[in-house]
Amino acid sequence: MKDSTHPTFGRRLLAAAALCALATTALAQQPPAEEPFWAKGRPKDEVSMKMAPVPAFPIATAADKLPVAKIKLPPGFKAEVWASDILDARGLRQGDKGTVFVSSLFVAGKIYAVVDKGGKREVKTIAEKLFLPNGIEFVKGSLYVATPKDITRYDNIEDKLDSPPAPVMVYDKLPGEIPHGWKFIKLGPDGKLYVPIGAPCNICDPGEGFAKILKMNLDGSGVETVATGVRNTVGFDFDPKDGSLWYTNNGRDWLSEDLPNDTLNHVSKAGQNFGFPYCHQGTFADPEFGWGKNCSEFAQPALLTGPHAGTLGMRFYNGKMFPAQYRGAIFMARHGPWNRTKKYAADIVVAWPDGKGGIKKMEPFLTGLVENNEYLGRPVDVMVMKDGSMLVSDDHNGAIYRISYKGK
Amino acid sequence: MKRRLAAFVAAAAAAGSLPVVAQGNTAYADKFAANCVACHGAQGRSSMALTPSLAGQPGFYAITQLFLFRQGRRDNPVMSAVAQGMPDADMRGYAEAIAALPAPPPPEARGDEARLQRGKALAAQHRCASCHGADFSGDKQVARLAFQREDYLQQTLRAFRAGKRIGYTQAMNEALASLSAENLDDLAHYLAHYERAP
Repeated sequence: MKDSTHPTFGRRLLAAAALCALATTALAQQPPAEEPFWAKGRPKDEVSMKMAPVPAFPIATAADKLPVAKIKLPPGFKAEVWASDILDARGLRQGDKGTVFVSSLFVAGKIYAVVDKGGKREVKTIAEKLFLPNGIEFVKGSLYVATPKDITRYDNIEDKLDSPPAPVMVYDKLPGEIPHGWKFIKLGPDGKLYVPIGAPCNICDPGEGFAKILKMNLDGSGVETVATGVRNTVGFDFDPKDGSLWYTNNGRDWLSEDLPNDTLNHVSKAGQNFGFPYCHQGTFADPEFGWGKNCSEFAQPALLTGPHAGTLGMRFYNGKMFPAQYRGAIFMARHGPWNRTKKYAADIVVAWPDGKGGIKKMEPFLTGLVENNEYLGRPVDVMVMKDGSMLVSDDHNGAIYRISYKGK
Repeated sequence: MKRRLAAFVAAAAAAGSLPVVAQGNTAYADKFAANCVACHGAQGRSSMALTPSLAGQPGFYAITQLFLFRQGRRDNPVMSAVAQGMPDADMRGYAEAIAALPAPPPPEARGDEARLQRGKALAAQHRCASCHGADFSGDKQVARLAFQREDYLQQTLRAFRAGKRIGYTQAMNEALASLSAENLDDLAHYLAHYERAP
């Protein structure tokens, strides 16, 4: 997460070099280097200067040391370890034959397949040495894998877990920028693959190629824009009532401990602009890029999900195991902030749509993973299993938990 | 030393700073003394050419490097061989032992005034403190640089710039891309003497 690749870097470097050429001393002729992208805008005080993104811990936590006993849930729900020793476990998808596929990011660079063998889970690595392969989706027997650069496909994968096929290129025209370049991808009810391209910065005017959600045919053709002004979404799903897209968005960094919030957003018509980099959380203009802009020009978020919360994976609950009140509700994983003094979230929250494109309330669902201002675990994605139970990935521990409902 | 390590382990466990900190791991202080000091020096203060002092490196950084050696993602045949024989528990134990050692003191030599000046300016220009801290003591996954061996710093900076050493990302490679060999050497000189810089 510490990369400073930036589309305007070269231009700025040239401009800075031209200015500095006028200076006299040998050192002054060197342009000041860019900060790492995530540090741009960081105040220079001692507290902020100590905050930086933290990668997943490089060793998965042993099954018997996982913080499952710390997890708190509403009455009647139970958490258990479903699978462990999955270093950097991130995105979750299930194949038609029951295989659970797990993606990873910087630390592992792998795709895993977890197979249930008589109540015991076996973890296989099916691809490795990949470039931030966070985005996965399972469609018609194939596993799609999205990196910041491209989307590939592993055909008939569930029958070939022990000798996976060579990947087939689906789409190779993604920008490849690392900042906010890693993906969350999902099949829409229209049969298209939805693919976001995040802003390649904390805050910048990234031009037309970034900060948007695209959709494309499964062969990579017919690319269309679904939404713009989207800083960085790492989680979305489709409303079971009308097929419309809801997505989580990570707000900009360093403005304040308490602002802006991450958001949950509803795309009610194609091509809506959600405001980045001009407007944050639907309520205020960016101090640098927002001059002359008004938040009323942009689509409003459906829900604020907390400052720097790291709101990532989300799913509508469409299973039958949880009590009726949860059907049609949205579950969201909040990874927990790295750039906030007081750590919080690292939880699952649940929100209920109001039927009019908004949200009527949000409640905590899975909590207990923040202790002494440190994370015991960090949820990344949620997935509803065929039996209605829910899996939760935790990249901090390299584990997957299963949440089930047993009744009161 | 054992008391200090025990205190560290207890503190780290209380703070939850590592996902799981094995309790009562003082054995690794002894294992470190038995297996690492031949190259990395007593108390993790190296006097061997091109070999880093490990004392006071953040535990997260230490375990990340062991992980990269074990995976062959950081290129060093000796350390890769060592790490390949290490189960996860050893990696945690050694990383904790390393983090518990007090950081090395400044070198006795004062250093070359002109080079220190140039190195200091380069460190400011290239924003080393952004990640490595205002006193270059490192934090979490980021290395301590202050008072590291100069020859090791020099070698490492060159390896980053040449793209031969890569972390999870190419952050360091990019940060150093525009520096000349002389720049890198001045930077190494400055960091190795850090507090003695004018």
